[in-house]
Amino acid sequence: MRRAWPPLLLALLLAALAAPQGAALLGGALGEAAAPFPAGRLASLALTHAGLSLAGVVPAALLGIALGIWVTRPRGRGMRPAADALAAAAQSVPPVVVVALAVPAFGFGLWPTALALLLYALMPVLRATVAALEAVPPDVRAAAEAIGVPPARILAEVELPLAWPLVLDGLRVALVLAVATAAVGALAGAATLGTPIVLGLQNQNQVMVVQGAAATAALAFAAEGALLAVAGRRQGSPARLDAPLPN
Amino acid sequence: MIAFDNVTVQFGGTQALSGVSLEVREGELCALVGPSGSGKTTLLRLVNRLVAPASGTVRVRGEDVMRQDAPALRRSIGYAMQSVGLFPHRTVAENIATVPRLLGWDRARIAERVHDLLRMLRLDAAMADRLPRALSGGQAQRVGLARALAADPDILLMDEPFGAVDPITRRELRAELRRIHAETGKTIVLVTHDPEEALELGTHIVVLRGGRIVADGPPAAVVAPGADAFTRELLGGAQPGLRRLALLPAADALDPAPAPDDAPVLPRDASLADALSLMAERGCDSLALEGASGSLRAGTLLRQAR
Repeated sequence: MRRAWPPLLLALLLAALAAPQGAALLGGALGEAAAPFPAGRLASLALTHAGLSLAGVVPAALLGIALGIWVTRPRGRGMRPAADALAAAAQSVPPVVVVALAVPAFGFGLWPTALALLLYALMPVLRATVAALEAVPPDVRAAAEAIGVPPARILAEVELPLAWPLVLDGLRVALVLAVATAAVGALAGAATLGTPIVLGLQNQNQVMVVQGAAATAALAFAAEGALLAVAGRRQGSPARLDAPLPN
Repeated sequence: MIAFDNVTVQFGGTQALSGVSLEVREGELCALVGPSGSGKTTLLRLVNRLVAPASGTVRVRGEDVMRQDAPALRRSIGYAMQSVGLFPHRTVAENIATVPRLLGWDRARIAERVHDLLRMLRLDAAMADRLPRALSGGQAQRVGLARALAADPDILLMDEPFGAVDPITRRELRAELRRIHAETGKTIVLVTHDPEEALELGTHIVVLRGGRIVADGPPAAVVAPGADAFTRELLGGAQPGLRRLALLPAADALDPAPAPDDAPVLPRDASLADALSLMAERGCDSLALEGASGSLRAGTLLRQAR
């Protein structure tokens, strides 16, 4: 829980800067007198922004964890290089390009951005899942196998509980990346916190640019803090599964 | 109880075991001994199908292991190993309860069994709720043994279980194993690279070299004169004659002639090596045996060793 406070405080500070009053104050100090983006609209954009980030990260998390499990099983081990290459390729394409290329397929709006975020968030989750599963001590897995724990239960009761903290780290990185990147969606017509940035750049209104950037960063830090809080609470309670085998 | 019939095991291009046949009878403590790479661990792992034979058959309780469901077979056989492999996220009690829980035992029965096992292995009951990282090496080894015995399997496999602990703890654990074997009558197969451990614990010694069995029999027989030379050197070191005397009970060499009145008295369960040592210390050539008529003579004693 202690690790969660710094990002949460930073999020609060940035949120204050993003608010019209804060941004106007900063603008005044820099000699900018442009009208700030209204608070109500900013808040509703923050909500869509958060939703859009989750729409990209949740499938990326499910896909990344599933792929990570698959390529660490005996049967899927051969797929490991292919999965690594796929995830690396997905992250090496700049999100702007993915959004631009996806517009003809999905049209303007939220979907091109959700796709870009999914591809972008996939690698951190996959990498973390594979690394976490490979970090499970081999003698622990060997003992579980030797005393007759079936493979699916070795995964559920031994490997995943031991791997979970590292997987959660990967999820956190993916979520923060996605929140920061979702601003790009404004270029494809998605209403996100990138919208005030695009509007500000078009109208030479620096105050709006600052507001959009600060609000995006605030949301990213808030996501980081929230997941750190979850991770902190998780550590206290080891997973337990008491059910007998179905006969 | 366990029968290997002409079993060959391949790992890639190399042959780990070649044409091995062996029978381990119920209640035996069978020690598999040999240099590293001799195939002793592979032979052990065939029993619960952690290794599959390339040819030949392995039968456990009369049934071919390859025809049985591997996890179910493994749950019916205890397994303990040098690195222990306790689950670090689970308490001692939960670790011990793993197999009973998989078998669907009810809570009360599991709790009672865990309690009994902690006592059997002389572990403090307060240890039940601790995580493995709070245990010493010897304690972890005992918990590993308790986990292996949890569902009361009639067969117990042990892969160098005492290799990673200090010599004093190792001696204690060996005594513990001998006691458990005597009390429960389980069939135990033990892999060790320590010849002394094999001779001390085993009721049946199997010596492996380069994937083949070179000796198979009771401890005193495998170090007898005329037995396989490699075995005699591995198990007997430079003094196979003395090793063999240590394995033979003094009571078997009893001479009907009574001992002199001032003869030193040997304890009832002493070995011939104990008798020889006492004679050397006292400078005499005849001893009395506690609770027995007759005497132990140096000449008869030495003839036994041949």
